[in-house]
Amino acid sequence: VRLGVVQFPGSCDHTDALLAARRVADAQLLWHGDHSLDGVDAVIVPGGFSYGDYLRVGAIARFSPLMESVIAFANDGGPVLGICNGFQVLCEAHLLPGALLPNTGLRFVCRQVDIEVVGDSAFSRAGETLSIPVKHTTGRYFAPDLDPAQVVFRYAPGQNPNGSQDDIAGVRNEPGNVVGLMPHPEHAVDPLTGSADGLHLFESVLRERVG
Amino acid sequence: VENVHVGRLVELDVEDETQLDAMCHKLLANPLIEDYEILT
Repeated sequence: VRLGVVQFPGSCDHTDALLAARRVADAQLLWHGDHSLDGVDAVIVPGGFSYGDYLRVGAIARFSPLMESVIAFANDGGPVLGICNGFQVLCEAHLLPGALLPNTGLRFVCRQVDIEVVGDSAFSRAGETLSIPVKHTTGRYFAPDLDPAQVVFRYAPGQNPNGSQDDIAGVRNEPGNVVGLMPHPEHAVDPLTGSADGLHLFESVLRERVG
Repeated sequence: VENVHVGRLVELDVEDETQLDAMCHKLLANPLIEDYEILT
């Protein structure tokens, strides 16, 4: 199994995502200007500030050559995980419902949070609570017509860092192969840094692909 | 102060104005979270 990690100009978490993915499988970077996904089994769209996030978070990255292939891959049932800016990109690409707005506190937040896994998907099994960091300014999830069945991750009670609707930290598409979340599982893969709970997301996609 | 509006102004020189609405809808604005107005 090989995981592909997208790199846009302005990405900053692709290296951590790549190293996290390599703890569970083979993994490689995918360059934004290429069209080929190089035969990877799953795609991770990492955090950062794609194309400087000019205009609106995630708005320009959605039109990159590689994203055309990622959209086709996702629509074909391929597993795609968007983390932070990657989540914003997947929303702009209409692979996921909703949009991300500035935090209600209007400030950048960076802290460890507990998130409850409330839905099954290619990257999750409901029932666990994960300790994972968030770090963002534009993380308030907004989706007025969201089907509650598409909620995958919720901030634990009292821990919502951004004013997100219904404490939502992450959602999936209807089939469950595309998932996005604001917290950073790739930064929680080693007990030395406080938690290795983030690995669960990467391991879930392996279970799915290996069977 | 009774009202404050903070927005983004995008100025474009275009040959075909009929495409402006589609341009706003597809890229310049996200209709889920943003309103837009076209002034020509």
